Parts: sequence; C-alpha cells; structure tokens
Amino acid sequence: MLMIPCPHCGARDEVEFTYRGDATVVRPAADAGIEAFHDYLYLRRNPRGWQVEWWQHNGGCRAFLKVLRHTVTHEVRGVVTATEALEVPPA
Amino acid sequence: MSAPEPTHPLAAAARGHHGATGGAALHVTFPAREIVQVMLRRGQDNALAAAMRAAFGIDPPGPGATATGSGVTAIWVQPGQWLLTAPRSSEGALATQAARAFVGLAAVADQSHGRTTIALSGAAAREVLSRGCRLDLHQAAFGPGRAANTPIAQIGCLVHQTDATPCFELTVFSTLADPFLHWLIEAAAPLGVDIA
Repeated sequence: MLMIPCPHCGARDEVEFTYRGDATVVRPAADAGIEAFHDYLYLRRNPRGWQVEWWQHNGGCRAFLKVLRHTVTHEVRGVVTATEALEVPPA
Repeated sequence: MSAPEPTHPLAAAARGHHGATGGAALHVTFPAREIVQVMLRRGQDNALAAAMRAAFGIDPPGPGATATGSGVTAIWVQPGQWLLTAPRSSEGALATQAARAFVGLAAVADQSHGRTTIALSGAAAREVLSRGCRLDLHQAAFGPGRAANTPIAQIGCLVHQTDATPCFELTVFSTLADPFLHWLIEAAAPLGVDIA
C-alpha cells in the first residue's frame, strides 16, 4: 500500500487517490500531424525505475498531483502540485 | 401547488440506544446547519480574504484548518474552496449574506440541503471513527479546529474536530447520510451508541 504525502493534506493512503498516468506526456501542436498524435495518445515509456505520474487526490483535496514513484520498489520520493516540476533521478 | 416541506435526511433514522448495554460510549446528534460552498475566482485571493474578514470577521483558513468568527465557521476543503457553516436559522440566510459579500470574488452555492452534518461525541468517538477512517486522529496529530476530507466506509466525508472532549462533526452528502449512519451504528455497536 502506498502512502502519498499530499502537499495540501499530508500523508494519505493510496485508496484516496486515483492514478492518472504518465505526467511527462506533452500534447503536440495542433498541426503536428496524425503520427505525432498517435504517439501522444498511445505510446508510453513504461520505465523500470523512476517515473513522474499524475495522481488525483479525489478522496481529499481533489487536486491533481505529480508524484515521483519508483516502478519497482514503489518508493515515493517527491510530490508536487500540477504547476510545479519534479526532477527525475537517474534510474 | 405548495412546495413540499423539507425534511431532515435522517428524520427516519432509529433514535435511542444501539449495541452494548450499560451506558453509551458514543453520542450522536444531527445538528441543523447552514452549509455554503465558496469557490474562489482566479486571482482574487487577497480580495476574498478582505471580504471574508469584513463580512464574517475571519481569514480564509489554510489547508486542514478552520476559522470561527461571529457564529460562522469556515472550513478549508480544497485549494481555493471553503465551506461556511452556521447553525440553521432562516432558510438560505448565510448563502445570501455570503453571495452579497463575495460578488465577483467567489462563486457561492448553498449546500444546506445537499450536505448533512452528523455530530459525534463521547469517549469512544476516536475509536469508532478509526474503524473506518485512515486519518491519524490522535491529539498529537489532529485536534480542535482541524478538518480533513477523507473517505470513511467508502463515503466521502468532511471530518471536523470541534472540541477536545473529543467532539467531531462529520459532513456527508445528504443522499449518503443514511448508509453512513448505518455504518456508524454498526461500528459503534460493540461500545454502545445513543442516537439523539
């Protein structure tokens, strides 16, 4: 079970959150073409190591948060609000 | 055709004693509250704080906190959003007062009938809550004037500790007040509970 330290609410249990996917995906420009949009929609890195993810604290403050999680150990090393940036350590 | 009389969502709840005999460790009441949702408009943080100070004598509380002024309590619920609560007097009075005070600064919605408040007090209040709630309610971590949104028995609930007795006020969606109360009675039955 993950404990996620929400910047607003403090450490809360995983059941209060909804996983919303990779937070590093950037929407291409409107005229980028169908290939770029295909990749944006379907292709994900699935790294073995650190990943920045969206988690929504829908059981608490309802904010979208960026969480730096290790996909093997589940260690959560950083949580920030949506407008802030997280630095990804080398795997 | 006249409008139907509003009834309390828990009007049909079974009153009296439930569970273990020999005294109740938990007392439950259903205080009538005005509940008004205040949603900040972008960039109006300081103006809203000034308006709240002028109208209610309180500053908008920060995360996890509440502020009580002249009969009105503001509870932080999420970034840029608060609930104002007051004992229910005339229908919609608090919402009207807030809407006038916060014109152009915040969206104001009367939730008095949308939410239901259940008050818990007694020696077992913390123990009963901890059976369905993952918050750390120990006095070192929580305390009077603190509030938190969290699911209890899978029902979204605003937990507000009002005093050190301890006394808690739980605010849930009115449509879920009945199943929530059902869970509360089940959770408190081994210790004994009085519903007033």
